[in-house]
Amino acid sequence: MNHNQTKIDRRSFLKVGATAAAAVPLSGLMASNNVAEAADNPLMGSSATNMKGKVLDFAYSRIAGWPPSAAPEAMWPAFQAFAKKTYGYTVNKITFAEAGFGDLFQKIAPTLASKSQQFNIMVVDSQWLGALAEPGWIVKADDVFKLNPTMDKKPYSSLVTSTYQVYPDGSGKRWGFPQMPDVQGVYLRKDMLDDPKEQAAFKAKYGKKLPVTYAEYENIEQSEFEKVIEFFHRPDKGMYGTTMMYDKSYDMFSCAYYPFAYSTGGKIWDAKTNNVYGILNSAVNAKAMEHFVGLKKYQPANFAKIDIGGVIDLFTKGKVFSAYQWCAVGLAMKSDMVPIEKVMAIPLPKFNGKIIGAMGGQPWVINAYNDADHMRVAVDFLKWWQSKEAQDLFILKNGGLPWTAADCANPAYANFAHYVKPFLYMLKEGRSIDFWHLPEYSEMLAVQQEAFNGFAAGTVKSAAHALEYAAAKQQQILFKAGRTKTAPPKGTDSMTL
Amino acid sequence: MGVKFASKDKAIKAKSKSGQKGEKSFGWKLLIPVLAFFGFFNIVPTLWMLGLSFNDYKLISSNAPHYVGLSNYQSFLADQQVAHAVNRTFVFLAFAIIFQTTLGILIGVLFWRNDKLRGRRLALTLLFTPMVVTPVASALFWKLILDPNFGVGNYFLQIFGIAKIDVLTSQSLAFPTLLVVDTWMWTPFMALMTLAALGSVPKAELEAASIDRLPLFTVIKTVVWPHAKFILMLGILLRSIDAFKTMDLSLIMTDGGPGDKTELIALSLYRYAFKSFNLGYSSAISVFLLFIAISLTSIYLYVLNLKSRKEA
Repeated sequence: MNHNQTKIDRRSFLKVGATAAAAVPLSGLMASNNVAEAADNPLMGSSATNMKGKVLDFAYSRIAGWPPSAAPEAMWPAFQAFAKKTYGYTVNKITFAEAGFGDLFQKIAPTLASKSQQFNIMVVDSQWLGALAEPGWIVKADDVFKLNPTMDKKPYSSLVTSTYQVYPDGSGKRWGFPQMPDVQGVYLRKDMLDDPKEQAAFKAKYGKKLPVTYAEYENIEQSEFEKVIEFFHRPDKGMYGTTMMYDKSYDMFSCAYYPFAYSTGGKIWDAKTNNVYGILNSAVNAKAMEHFVGLKKYQPANFAKIDIGGVIDLFTKGKVFSAYQWCAVGLAMKSDMVPIEKVMAIPLPKFNGKIIGAMGGQPWVINAYNDADHMRVAVDFLKWWQSKEAQDLFILKNGGLPWTAADCANPAYANFAHYVKPFLYMLKEGRSIDFWHLPEYSEMLAVQQEAFNGFAAGTVKSAAHALEYAAAKQQQILFKAGRTKTAPPKGTDSMTL
Repeated sequence: MGVKFASKDKAIKAKSKSGQKGEKSFGWKLLIPVLAFFGFFNIVPTLWMLGLSFNDYKLISSNAPHYVGLSNYQSFLADQQVAHAVNRTFVFLAFAIIFQTTLGILIGVLFWRNDKLRGRRLALTLLFTPMVVTPVASALFWKLILDPNFGVGNYFLQIFGIAKIDVLTSQSLAFPTLLVVDTWMWTPFMALMTLAALGSVPKAELEAASIDRLPLFTVIKTVVWPHAKFILMLGILLRSIDAFKTMDLSLIMTDGGPGDKTELIALSLYRYAFKSFNLGYSSAISVFLLFIAISLTSIYLYVLNLKSRKEA
């Protein structure tokens, strides 16, 4: 060892020592400045002091007629108490605006376009993410997560992230905060299934046992399930086999139809190239649509006008044996006539052992034009929303559904109601898919709904024509918007239904 | 003295002239609020819309409006779905005007000069009720009545042994049903206009015709029509413009369906403007609709003034 090499002279030692001695408090000062800066960032939410004593009003938007979206209303008093206790501010008045699925966007979009903070926080549909994110109207959720890592919880499945948070698809950029995810299932009249006379009659007619339990239905094939529907279809007695959504409004028909297409190998677009033509208008999709619409024979005469509310009405008024419906409305699928004991929810039936349903559910988004105080309250609220207190209120009292891996594993939530089991089943990887999150979603949806509903109502001659029309028009919309380089087919303008 | 009178006269004349001028300018000043209101809420938005129609602009896009010339108009003229909606709207307008005017005139005549008829006031009040109810409420009300599962209309049909009819999703019945509901809503308006029109006929002329024992047709042609036509044509004009704009009924009752069977142009416009927020394209459609409304008004006014022009 060469001692000369390692020897430090006294002067150098003193220099280093002095620098180190000065650096310690300096770095501490710099770090504390960073912390102070971060604490000052409204996206971090409130600290114990920076909102103390303040009084403010708060406003949010929600989807009318949609129970999960309305649930926060009943929960606000708990948040107000929490905010007062934890941060010392008073949320004086909480106002909301609501509109149906198809109309809420048009209510909030002009306010955001004019940079208003009329709605500080919003429950929106997952399809709107692109339309809200591209013009910069909403806060990037990643920015909030960066400052509040505890908010970034592990979801039950990647479907939660891809459906409610990310835009553009596959980019990993997150904008939404899951309010609650939703998937599709079927609600059955358990009392009718449990009737021994019905069971005997079914056996006599089909030569096999009537499936009765959840376990028997979890993997049932659609073709087998249709026999059960057919068996209970008694229109002369005012009882129909099933009800599904074929309505023209918003995405009613589309979401109800998608499982029939997805599960039989159909696709509706290519998220990478933003191409629709040649994908949506496939023979597989046409066959699936014919099958889906063919089920009208087990449904009431006005099947083509049935939407979410219509399905609830028919089921709760005892007019149908089964109902293809969202799991999110589980709490609404009961009435005095059909109490909850008579209802059993199951996952969607399978097609050759495969099922891919459509995703429902909504994220929260934060208005980017909130002033600092309202921004803090919005973040505080979302932090609180993830708390056990809030999730207990949401799931156990207001019919909500969990989405984090931890909450989904919580037996108190998982076993809370009959519709949670099929919900968790359908939320597993690969069992559900969401569709476009592009700003053009509304135009694309309107074209598609008109064509598809037209086929159901008999005004469009074939499923293939409805799909051809929708695919060409959607390709044109995306081409004009510069989302794809592939032009629509010639003659798209002159195409009619 | 003469000079004095002349100068006095001049002074009076000058005073009255300046008085007239003052009155005129005062009149103009009084008009300022109305003109400002009209300019701000009518002219400016119309010009703005006209300008937007030459731009590609979507509210939900981060891009600023950019000039595209006549591109929106070209797209609009090439769009066959929109063309169908326009045709459908004209059919709706024609039938609505024919039914409502005919029924309105009949009802108006029924109540005309029947002041002592028992229950006249109550009957008129009930008759005019549909007209004063909000169209959205009326549409919702009819939608519920006609619901095949829970609607009272189908319930009564069933009582009489008639099978349930789902008129709102029927390809052949949905459009006529909208027409019936529109007629139910707006016939009272035409009845009211008829009553006003008949009320404008001078009693003396009617009495003279009665004394002369003129045949009914002659009375209508020579006495009633010349006086009543202005108000009646005004009613038809207002209804035509209104019928062309019908949106609420088809939005609430059928959402333009089944398929696009009841999609009227105002509903298409609403979708483009407030669902898709495609403001450039929807402005082009609006300009087209504005021209149609102006054309309709011009045609009616031309027909109305034809005779007086000939006489002049």
